Amino acid sequence: MNKILNTKDQHPVISSKDLSISYELHRERTKLIALKNISLDVKKGEFVVLVGPSGCGKTSFINAVAGLVEPESGVINVNGKPVKGPGPDRAMVFQDYALMPWKTVESNIRIPFEFQNLGISIEDQNKRIKDCINLVDLNGFEKSFPYELSGGMKQRVGIARALVTHPTILLADEPFAAIDAMTREAMQAELERIVNQSNQTVIFITHSIDEAITLADRVVVISYRPGQIKEIVNINLPRPRFEQEIKLLPEYSKLREHIWRLVKDEAFRTTKGD
Amino acid sequence: MRLSGLQKVIKMEENNQNTERLVYTGWTFKEVWGYSRTTVVTILNLSIFFILWEIWTSSGGVNPLFLPEASNMFHELWKGLTTSAPPGAVFSGSIRDHLFHSFSNLMIGLGIACVIGIPSGLLMGGNKYIETILSPYVWAMASLPRIALVPLFILFLGFTMKMQITIIVISAVFPIIINAWAGVKTTEKSLLAAAKVFGANRRQLYLNVVMPYTLPFIISGIQQGIGRGLIGVIIAELFGGSKGLGYLIQRSADTFNSALMYAVLLLLVVMSLTLIQLTRWLEAYVAPWRKVEML
Repeated sequence: MNKILNTKDQHPVISSKDLSISYELHRERTKLIALKNISLDVKKGEFVVLVGPSGCGKTSFINAVAGLVEPESGVINVNGKPVKGPGPDRAMVFQDYALMPWKTVESNIRIPFEFQNLGISIEDQNKRIKDCINLVDLNGFEKSFPYELSGGMKQRVGIARALVTHPTILLADEPFAAIDAMTREAMQAELERIVNQSNQTVIFITHSIDEAITLADRVVVISYRPGQIKEIVNINLPRPRFEQEIKLLPEYSKLREHIWRLVKDEAFRTTKGD
Repeated sequence: MRLSGLQKVIKMEENNQNTERLVYTGWTFKEVWGYSRTTVVTILNLSIFFILWEIWTSSGGVNPLFLPEASNMFHELWKGLTTSAPPGAVFSGSIRDHLFHSFSNLMIGLGIACVIGIPSGLLMGGNKYIETILSPYVWAMASLPRIALVPLFILFLGFTMKMQITIIVISAVFPIIINAWAGVKTTEKSLLAAAKVFGANRRQLYLNVVMPYTLPFIISGIQQGIGRGLIGVIIAELFGGSKGLGYLIQRSADTFNSALMYAVLLLLVVMSLTLIQLTRWLEAYVAPWRKVEML
């Protein structure tokens, strides 16, 4: 918890200044402004959760950090350098898992080594893959194909693949959205444990306010079109957290109420006009 | 653990330890039926069909010129497949010779169609400019009934094997192009994003994501190409030629040999089904996940 407070001498790991992202809509000859003037500093080891209505540009922000999308204006720095494209310091977990269906669990986790030369020997790669499979508890499924696994297991493969290169930054785009409630809570706890263990910086997108409060050090509420930071809510609840346990705390319902009001206003705006 | 009829895993206590053992149990009726149900029903179904056909035609209720007795048809088929024409004969009534001609033409045509179609489809999917330039021609040719082109090819190439193969290629190449093209275009965006995030460059994106994703599409393109190509074979041989199954159909009609004609038709059905089934197996082998999604 205190890790956010005693970070005086630390540079932010991710730093965006006046970041704007827009997409050309050729048919309508207009521009869709996804994000406008986002300034956000994320410190090392911090768990930042973005919430906001659908289409508010949360994914655009994560994609910009990942180097998949170029900002229209403003800067986005990772470890003090402007983002020029994807890099091994950042890894991503996807909502629809994005596993190659023709590859086994093991070779899906090997993908980051396959595509880039990180100077890691094959033995070390194998060891890391084995460790990651252990970490996400998929022992015995190394040779299985994604279509043989349940949704929760698929996402554990996705997480293992993201962790195998030991990235300092983990980006997660609604990773648990398609997973049932029971499995989701177990996986939230697992993610919290993994991230604390390796002191990773995380940017996490979710639609669920409960999930946001359970996981976040800070919850960033983003407004609807153009996506701007509406408010940043600090979550100072003790860790490790379990959704069902922290729900009983009096602060929890206050936080939930507060964030819910912020998100609700924006969510209602999405139903008007567009 | 999969159980087969011959061996079963039996859990038993041995020296106070739980052990698993493979034990011979023999086949139960239920297991035999479970494995062979489809085959047995299909064989029965077809047998009844041909027996009814035989009864109807041999009872004299139908002119044998229109519908021969099933036994005659099978006899012609057997004779045609087991005997060859004597050397120097002007016309061969042997199905085998014509089958070989048509089949090798089909294979050559399909081969050329793949060599042209797969790279073109991949390029069209991968490059916007090539796509824009080629797509009107592809759609025009794909929607044009290929039979309308036959007189043109006869004009260009005469009644030659070249003409026949050209028609097969023209028939088979477009489904292959369109499927490969669609495969590249429909490659899941999240797979591409994931590959990029994990460091794939442009070449790796194509080789390691787009290509494996497109492979099953290409196979189903070839599957459609086989069907179209077979039509091309028959059309080419019906229009002009002195060899091949299409020619044999024409010839047997001219000589009022309906048993031979039906034998060739049956052979065509079997040939087409076999080729398509082979590509289905290939597809299930290279892309087992698609089969699961389809179910």
